[in-house]
Amino acid sequence: MLHCTIDPSQRRRVRGLIVAGLFSLSSPGIVGCATPSETVVAEPATPAAAAPTPPADPAPPAEPAKPAAEPAGVTAVAVGACNERQAEISKQADERSKSWTIAQHLAKNFPDMKVSWLMKETPYQNFVVKTNAEKFGRCDDTGCYLFAAPTAVIQQAVDKAVKGKTHDAAVLGAALGLPAKNFEGPLRMMTLDLRATNSCVRLPVDADPGVWKCQSEADKDCFKFGGYTSGNVPEVMVIDAPVAQAVVREIP
Amino acid sequence: MSNEEVLYQSPLLYRVLRAAGGPLLIEVVVGGIAMYAVRVRLDAGEEQAFLREGAAFSDRLARQITAEPSFGGRAYDAPG
Repeated sequence: MLHCTIDPSQRRRVRGLIVAGLFSLSSPGIVGCATPSETVVAEPATPAAAAPTPPADPAPPAEPAKPAAEPAGVTAVAVGACNERQAEISKQADERSKSWTIAQHLAKNFPDMKVSWLMKETPYQNFVVKTNAEKFGRCDDTGCYLFAAPTAVIQQAVDKAVKGKTHDAAVLGAALGLPAKNFEGPLRMMTLDLRATNSCVRLPVDADPGVWKCQSEADKDCFKFGGYTSGNVPEVMVIDAPVAQAVVREIP
Repeated sequence: MSNEEVLYQSPLLYRVLRAAGGPLLIEVVVGGIAMYAVRVRLDAGEEQAFLREGAAFSDRLARQITAEPSFGGRAYDAPG
């Protein structure tokens, strides 16, 4: 792995380039030094450096810093096209979790970078279709916030639950560690390829819209910080997930 | 066929409805990776607050409901 001595602001950019590899599939771990004068030294362990990414090729050529073509106000500090606000939230979340960063979380639990989530049919119609929503999730003036899980996990749970022309809500609930009543009636399963959308992704935090904080260990269907649902399903927060790029499956 | 009138639809994934009988309801999408909707009938004080403050009040109420979907036992599953 290439190591560079860099100032804090450049460290953030380099870290962004590391996790950007998760999107681009281009040699994760290969990062460039910002200036030729920077010396190559052993870098102290950082959350990003500890990410379980494949080892880089030896002595990769230095790449230029992130191209100036990024939209104004957008930096790749976190994963995907996070603006400064989301990047800062992501940074704080990674620091809070200490031993578990969004980069590690994605590498372990979302290797194909595909996310899915479920929604009952009626709210899907009322809040997505009828409103002609352009983004999924709960939106305020800072963005649209959506919890999502690995597609493989949701898909497996759905496949297990679908029987003939309907599904067994109890089976789906058990598979996802959530109450069966959350899955009664027709559902929609949405899937998004984060590599295609380049959506901002980070660990969910307490302040995110939609968070229902667990009050006790026994609570289910509530939020616990750390990237896993109370049912132990991996989850991420996707910012501004585009409706137009989602694949939507009906689950009768 | 619904006899409900949508008074306000929010991008925060909630809406305020007036039911056929007259009371105001708030319907809020709750949940994380599996989303569903619950409803709460506004009490007289909440109705007045909504009529007075509009979305500023209903935003606060919706956030309280998403943070505690049972809403102290007042919430019930939305139809459908």
